[in-house]
Amino acid sequence: MAKEIGADRFGDFYIDGGKVRRRREWRGLSDTLYDYSRWLTIMATLGKFVMKPRNVKAMFRYRWMANYLAVPMMVDRHTQGLRGEYLRICHEEQDLVIKDVAKLLDSLFRGDRRIGNDTEFSKKVVLVDENEMTAVMMGFPTLKCLSRETPSTYVSVLLNQHAAEHYIDVAQEFGLAGDVCPMPEAEAGVSIDDDAPILGACAIQCNTTCDGSLLGNGVISRRLEKENGIPVFQLAAPLRHREDDVQEYAAQEIRNAIAFIEKHTGEKWDWKAYFDCARRVNYATRCRQEWLEMNRTPYPQVFGSNLALYTETNYMAICGKVPEFERADRRITKLARQAYEKKKMAAKEYRHRAIIWGVQSHYYMDFLVWLLNCWGIVPLTDMLSMVSTRELKEEDTPENRETAIYDMAWLTENMIMRNRTHGGYRVLLDELWEFTQMFNADMVILWEHMSCKALTGMHGMFEERARELGIHLVWVSHDLFDPRIISRQGVRDQINNYMRTVMREEPIDPSLEVLHDEESW
Amino acid sequence: MSKIAKILLRLVLVALGFFAVTFTVYIFNLDMKLTALIEPFLLKHYDKIPRDKHL
Repeated sequence: MAKEIGADRFGDFYIDGGKVRRRREWRGLSDTLYDYSRWLTIMATLGKFVMKPRNVKAMFRYRWMANYLAVPMMVDRHTQGLRGEYLRICHEEQDLVIKDVAKLLDSLFRGDRRIGNDTEFSKKVVLVDENEMTAVMMGFPTLKCLSRETPSTYVSVLLNQHAAEHYIDVAQEFGLAGDVCPMPEAEAGVSIDDDAPILGACAIQCNTTCDGSLLGNGVISRRLEKENGIPVFQLAAPLRHREDDVQEYAAQEIRNAIAFIEKHTGEKWDWKAYFDCARRVNYATRCRQEWLEMNRTPYPQVFGSNLALYTETNYMAICGKVPEFERADRRITKLARQAYEKKKMAAKEYRHRAIIWGVQSHYYMDFLVWLLNCWGIVPLTDMLSMVSTRELKEEDTPENRETAIYDMAWLTENMIMRNRTHGGYRVLLDELWEFTQMFNADMVILWEHMSCKALTGMHGMFEERARELGIHLVWVSHDLFDPRIISRQGVRDQINNYMRTVMREEPIDPSLEVLHDEESW
Repeated sequence: MSKIAKILLRLVLVALGFFAVTFTVYIFNLDMKLTALIEPFLLKHYDKIPRDKHL
């Protein structure tokens, strides 16, 4: 029980083979009371959610809803060891994301034909993929842009490492290949298992992720169109997104998607709403750039999972549509500036400055917290946070309306992950080394998502360049949504082995080196 | 003791009781320990739901 950063042995909080932890941290009086007050707020959010009978009904209908029992624990995993501003930044983000997901679930069940069956509401719903830039919804303020995959698979695996296993198995029972990315495979599994809410006037699917997502989309869209009568638009963004000659095609896809939504919902594109969203997107971009600037110095402030999880949500799913995120951006930036001026550190010792590259293991999202607490490796930034910094047009003029179509196309092409895994070796390989210099990093932690062919193909080229530059390159293999292939300890072992054998170092907190958390949420 | 003072005292006692109970739940992670017990029953329930399972 310690107030000082790094005085606890965090491994002692784990129960061998247990699902949950022994107790919560004592962080000193003021930080513990703060964390307790935020826990109460989360409990109030969850309490408000279950007050509605339709949400309770959904809890007993959809298997993936069981994962939401673990919401407070997800926050505990990400706040491990944090004090002061870092703890507050984490709560600003996580609590807002929780509220946003609760709203998403509530809306899904309201329109769901099996649960709330509010048909008028359902007519105002446009379904989108989980891994989809929602820029085409920026000009439809009266419509609800909802993703079924976000709560059923994406958030579920953040909450419970085993959440997707059932759906992966279902997909494979029905003959889907076992070596595709388990994310779209699990999403297809939810559809096959008849476990997706049914609602919406129409749906927009995208090709933005990978060949695996095309597999999943094919299965899902067939059921949507043929059985549920929900028309689906396929938004196909070009792969070589940095080339000038593909931009007109990309813009036309945006025009077509908007026309499709207008046709099926009867709503008209609202330019005022679009430019309001664009202004908020620009503000979020400026904040993110300021955080990244701080991370280039010896006193990084918004980094690790505080940077990664929030950027994913704010950049892609929110995309300027929710004003609360602008307020959160402001508060986070204020806290970061405050800590930076005082030259504060999130852990007692920073030994290595690392860039995290590749697609992270979803079932172990708090690995970045572990890196810092166990080995003193500071995850300065990650591939999924290095997204577009282009300033969008904010003023409503005829010229800007035309440019805005290209801006939306650009955002769609540059959705998280895709902006690196697609677009050629320059964006995936060459820019990594520019970032290592820019951030003064001595280490690259390279996630090797074994089912992601776009990334694994460049394995040798990454090694070659790291050797030339004298950067420590640590490969960490995983299978994104499936901890049965490589467990969390399997992930940790790859770092432990490198740090002990190559770096000849001892861990800062040895109690974290080996954890029996196979059964844990 | 005046009526207002009695009400205030009662409010303080209720607030203290609320804090004592919820803080104990919070620090010993009792909320998560309870929900971990619920999960297996829910999973069994989901297995029994009839589904239109197909590609």
